[in-house]
Amino acid sequence: MKKSANLISRLIMLSLVVMIAMGGATSCKSKKKLAREKAEAEYQAKVAQAKKDLTAMLNDETNWSLPEKQERLKTIKANNIDDQEVKDLIVKVEARLKDEERQVEEERLKRKEQEMTDQQRRKYSVIVYTLADIAKAKNYDDANRQIEGALNLYATPDVPVLIIISKKDGYYDYDRPTTISKFMNYLKDSKEFKYDIEMAKYNDDGKITELELIKK
Amino acid sequence: MKRVTYLLILVFGLGLFSPLMAQDNLTPERKQAIDSLALEKVKDLSKYISIIGDKETPWSEANRVIDRAEELFMQGSEMGVSSLVKPEIKYYPVRKYFERLMRLNYNKVVIEWYDIEYVSDLQRQPDGTYVGIITVFQKFKGYDKEGRLIYQDTTKKDITVYVKRKETQIGGRLIGFWDVLLGDIRVKETTL
Repeated sequence: MKKSANLISRLIMLSLVVMIAMGGATSCKSKKKLAREKAEAEYQAKVAQAKKDLTAMLNDETNWSLPEKQERLKTIKANNIDDQEVKDLIVKVEARLKDEERQVEEERLKRKEQEMTDQQRRKYSVIVYTLADIAKAKNYDDANRQIEGALNLYATPDVPVLIIISKKDGYYDYDRPTTISKFMNYLKDSKEFKYDIEMAKYNDDGKITELELIKK
Repeated sequence: MKRVTYLLILVFGLGLFSPLMAQDNLTPERKQAIDSLALEKVKDLSKYISIIGDKETPWSEANRVIDRAEELFMQGSEMGVSSLVKPEIKYYPVRKYFERLMRLNYNKVVIEWYDIEYVSDLQRQPDGTYVGIITVFQKFKGYDKEGRLIYQDTTKKDITVYVKRKETQIGGRLIGFWDVLLGDIRVKETTL
């Protein structure tokens, strides 16, 4: 009797040891699982956010500046997300941002060119006004007075005047060169001024030494 | 080897002559610019003739304009003159024509050129010159002291135009320009 009671107690002890051992192992396993699940959830959130941001950039639905978009794209790419949809979106967004970059650069150059043209126009406006006034003169005396005054802007009455008739295919086609004095008299006779100033060269005294016009 | 030599000659030949070829084969846009330039020279002449003939033009200005008008022509060019009262057409050197025009025996002269257009487009000649013919209609009106119209006619005239590419050095730059020169002006028809 005593022997069997001893056996039972031993069996109970063994069962307890097995149960404790099994319980500990299960708990360790679920911790790892939890960590894995957490990491997976974080990754999925990252993927979802990347898709959302990329789609928004692709459809121009953000109010980010171009450098902000480029930075975001850089971060997404650095995450090395192994998802085909994200990969495809990255390619598309890259192309779009390159396009945007080109547009921004084009606009910058256009603005710069416009600024230069405006600056040049302001610089050349005196030349334009004086020549246009000769063409608009009421009579010969008036025109001759205008010519006399306008010639003060030039180094000599023989300053060369080049007239571009066409600027195409990389070629500049000019009319027969003339002098400023002859050109002013031509304006007096033709009574019209239909040119833009392409270029003017000045000497140290601020007098024009060469004038290049282009037909409008 | 012979093939390679021919190929090299062809390649280098094209390289050397490509600027010339580019000038010869003008694009329609550049040709258009040259057409317009020649037409404009004829329009300039029309303004000059009107100024020279105008009795209100001061003598010094008329003489200056004669010089400018003469510069539009090739040396030795002639201008045809016709009248409703005489059957023959007389040809004068252009300078002489302008001087006669300035001294016409009317109190007031009005000369107007209109319908100025090409009858024969500028065509490239073997020497590189472009030659064309522009037609104009000239309305001439002469008035006496009392302001009465005493003579008028309308003349159709053909003007030969020559356009040649030339080069000149300006401010250290080689400038290629199109030199437009007018040739003889022939009378085709004179009507009232």
